[in-house]
Amino acid sequence: MFYRTAGQFKTSYEADHALFPVRQDAYLLAFILLLAFVVFPLTASEFAFRALLIPVLIYSLAALGLNILTGYAGQLSLGTGAFMGVGAYACYKLLTVFPEMNIVIAIAMSGFFSAAVGVLFGLPSLRIKGFYLAIATLAAQFFLVWLFQKWAWLYNYNASGAIQVPNIEMFGITVAGPRAEAITQYYFVLCFVCAMTFFAINITRGRIGRMWKAVRDMDIAAELVGINLMRAKLTAFFVSSYIVGVSGALFVFLWRGAAEANLFDIPLSFRVLFIAIIGGLGSILGNYLGAILIVALPVIIGSVPEAFGIPIGSATVEHLNVMLVGALIITFLIVEPHGLARFWAMIREKLILWPFPH
Amino acid sequence: MKHWIRKAAVSTALVATVMLTGPASAQGDGIYVPNLSYRTGPFASTGTPLMNGQRDYITMLNERDGGLNGTKLVYDECETGYNTEKGVECYEKTKANAVVTQPWSTGITLQVLPKSNVDNIPILAPGYGFSAMADGKVFQWAYNPPSSYWDGAYMILQDISGGDLSTLNGKKIAFLHLDHPFGKEPLPLLEKLSAEHGFELVPIPVGLTEMQNQSAQWLQIRRERPDNVIMWGWGAMNAGAMTEAAKTKYPMDQFYGVWWSGHDGDLKLIGDQGKGYRSISWSVPNSESALMQDIKKHVIDAGKSQINQGEDEFDSVFYQRGVMISLILVEGIRAAQEEFDTQNPNAEQVRWGLENIKLDEARLAELGAEGMLVPFSTSCADHTGHGGGWILEWDGSKFVKASDLLKADRDVIRPLEEEKAKEYAEANSPWPVNEECSM
Repeated sequence: MFYRTAGQFKTSYEADHALFPVRQDAYLLAFILLLAFVVFPLTASEFAFRALLIPVLIYSLAALGLNILTGYAGQLSLGTGAFMGVGAYACYKLLTVFPEMNIVIAIAMSGFFSAAVGVLFGLPSLRIKGFYLAIATLAAQFFLVWLFQKWAWLYNYNASGAIQVPNIEMFGITVAGPRAEAITQYYFVLCFVCAMTFFAINITRGRIGRMWKAVRDMDIAAELVGINLMRAKLTAFFVSSYIVGVSGALFVFLWRGAAEANLFDIPLSFRVLFIAIIGGLGSILGNYLGAILIVALPVIIGSVPEAFGIPIGSATVEHLNVMLVGALIITFLIVEPHGLARFWAMIREKLILWPFPH
Repeated sequence: MKHWIRKAAVSTALVATVMLTGPASAQGDGIYVPNLSYRTGPFASTGTPLMNGQRDYITMLNERDGGLNGTKLVYDECETGYNTEKGVECYEKTKANAVVTQPWSTGITLQVLPKSNVDNIPILAPGYGFSAMADGKVFQWAYNPPSSYWDGAYMILQDISGGDLSTLNGKKIAFLHLDHPFGKEPLPLLEKLSAEHGFELVPIPVGLTEMQNQSAQWLQIRRERPDNVIMWGWGAMNAGAMTEAAKTKYPMDQFYGVWWSGHDGDLKLIGDQGKGYRSISWSVPNSESALMQDIKKHVIDAGKSQINQGEDEFDSVFYQRGVMISLILVEGIRAAQEEFDTQNPNAEQVRWGLENIKLDEARLAELGAEGMLVPFSTSCADHTGHGGGWILEWDGSKFVKASDLLKADRDVIRPLEEEKAKEYAEANSPWPVNEECSM
């Protein structure tokens, strides 16, 4: 009923290849964008911005970057946290060396540093595959975090060894740093994430994306039909690390405000990997669903007892939270091993037939 | 299918409620004092007794006196697990009605400190955070009484040298520290002193992942043969260092630690082998004091505490330090109440109160905590108070006071504080400083 496709005829190849073959998908997206751009900013409290909306967006972007590499090109990576770190440190250096630089340009450029490092550590992927490649990217993880700690130039010889975000203005509005308003930061992140997602959707649908998928599904076959494996794998590393680097810069500059090297250590990599896996590998939507489950749900569960006035100690809530979220993750993976995105796809299929399934 | 839709609807509604209402605060009537606690995670073993102490002092005031001058203190914990990400979340969650914020981790302090000027909430970080926070003109909203890390490092060197730092000339001192903002904090001062007094400083960092296995670091210590080892450790690092030192038979009487490295639980692991280990401290446990007896009577025996009684937690340094931390905070709130003649001081007024704490010996005796805390007073220019500290020595089963009150040489430390505070303000410009303070 809601998803009835009757009457939607495709009369040209273009229509058949459109981004939204079913019109309702476009309405749904418009509705979500309306929520994100209008409804949330009007209703959300500062807590909701800082603890729910902004982190979900940033983690989704990081997972999106990883998903391009792992989900689309089939190259397992455990170095996401470190690549985020490269983006964050690059952005910090750019903005402290050239203080007059526009922050949008600095963040967009910092992605290139991360992309270059990503390609460098992606070189082993030309010879090794699967778990062995994961170990090689793990080396990147350890090496880069070590570098963030030891190379004092990166944090401007700060005594505490941490980077701190100064107040940064853009067109007279403070967008980053302690004086920035949460709503400004939210819009800033939202625009960045939307632009990157648009880019990611199109690149994965196009020639390059198909090349990646071919390599993922069977690299020998891909090579036989004339795909240059080296180019396919390295472009995947490049694009993925670029997006991850941008998300790292946003992570520190638009959300955390300060960061020390060990923030980018392996737990962050795993967190992003879990988001990508639970959301669904090889999907764009999945990253958002995964981030909502892993990042936002614990915050929401944590505030439930308080909202209903149930007197439980905050440490107990935390323990309960870990158990609940863990159980949910397992449940979702058992119900649908291909992730939340696939789950949504099934619901959508059923909705198209509903209320007259055959 | 259907129940999935229902579930989805319910969860969406839930999300929406949380978003719209924001966090419901635990504040009823009274003064809301949140604490970003950590009773879970890798640092829980050291965090829990501190949090218990903080909590029990406030419970005791509420039980014994009906609060502070008749107004209840609402103590609320938000669990961070020492995780900086949770720290931001907790800060945002509690800040609406808070008169103070207690970040409890250097990483969280780093994130919260620049916001203090914007949100106008005082940060209380007793014995941790930036040493440069002592400069109250620059850090209007941050407090780290009664002694800073730089004071602590200086006092340890005083005890090593027997009071005259020039006797350190030609000695070799290893500085075993957590490779983290907290561990690196005393380095600028130690480097300065080493250049001034001619002792050789060997910094030995311990990475967060190496905390439990420090064999490489202790191998280096054995090779370097330093005259003394000073440790800046926290959580699992302390226990790791203690067991490793005992294993390599490092002479314990040459081994010093900061106040966070003086946890009874860590030393109990090696018991007699740890005899002679010393840690600087600005608090001394005294279970027989009137204050502690009141806590025992009104809180612990009444079953209102979360303390672990089987492990002698009540007598431990950290539990009683937690009590002292709440005592400092409550003194600040009391000062604000009296100055502004209000039962419910706001954050701005508590800021003034924390700036005007007078905890001299007479006042401590009045509170029943004589000799448990270094006497100190704060001012608008001095947010630390620099009360100094005592050396606590491990006698094989507990920590005992082993020195007179030590005090750091302010003339050496002050220029460094001013320099670093200025650097910080410049990096975070526009940074408002307290122009009215003429001290």
